[in-house]
Amino acid sequence: MSQSITLKEKYPPGDFAIWIIIYVELVTFGLLFLGYAFSRRADVAMFNESQLMLNQTSGFINTLILVTSSYFVIKAVKSITSMSEESVAEANAKASKWLLLAIGCGVAFGFVKGAEFYHIFGQGINLSTNKFFMFYIMLTAFHFMHVMLGSLILYIIYKKTKTEGYTFGDYRGIETGASYWHMVDLLWIVLFPLVYIIR
Amino acid sequence: MKKYLEIIWLVLATLTLFAYLLGYLKIISTFFVAILLGTTFIKGTLVIEYFMGLHNVNWKYRMIPTLWLVMIISLIAIAYYLPVSTV
Repeated sequence: MSQSITLKEKYPPGDFAIWIIIYVELVTFGLLFLGYAFSRRADVAMFNESQLMLNQTSGFINTLILVTSSYFVIKAVKSITSMSEESVAEANAKASKWLLLAIGCGVAFGFVKGAEFYHIFGQGINLSTNKFFMFYIMLTAFHFMHVMLGSLILYIIYKKTKTEGYTFGDYRGIETGASYWHMVDLLWIVLFPLVYIIR
Repeated sequence: MKKYLEIIWLVLATLTLFAYLLGYLKIISTFFVAILLGTTFIKGTLVIEYFMGLHNVNWKYRMIPTLWLVMIISLIAIAYYLPVSTV
């Protein structure tokens, strides 16, 4: 019987403080998502009409970019957490390559989002245009800042892997940064259909 | 299950493409919104469980983001499906 029992980890991966931050971020974005969804009920036609001005393709590309970057990040984490005492250099080298790809995704997200904002703001749209665009700009700009911060965190972790900073049994830092990055991905997974697709 | 991360990425990418096509082809109906919210829940759960690595963690830490996802998607569905009062 005891052989079938899987032992669970007591705490989530990474520093516990990041999980407090993640829970707070989820609540904050959750309120904004619900604000959008319930405000839409007041003027469905205006929300639907305004939504047509968004570029769904750039939203789709950015979702793919974030999902793929999350895959790269978890591969980096697995490279480090599965290392042995003899494979520290190899594990750090592998992780740095995965992280570089993830950072590239963060930069690509920034370019796509920048082009989208350039197009939207170029049409004279701003926070005061209507409620749809107020929520769209608030949600996507706020999320964009999280992507930029996440990319910076990944870069710091990348620099540490380049100096073989993660050793056998000491990899809390990479798990902490990865958890933050996955949260950024999770938020976009809800944001994309809500703002770009559902009408 | 050595390639389970690749399979998860593939599922996430496929469901994202599905959502995009629904929007692009403008075939969003009340039925497809339910499907879309269902696929969003699947995608979110995959990220929480396997990318965030909570599938092997004490249930109380695992439940917080999962409950958040359930609540947010349920409330979005209520906001979408509840009849709009015209009074």
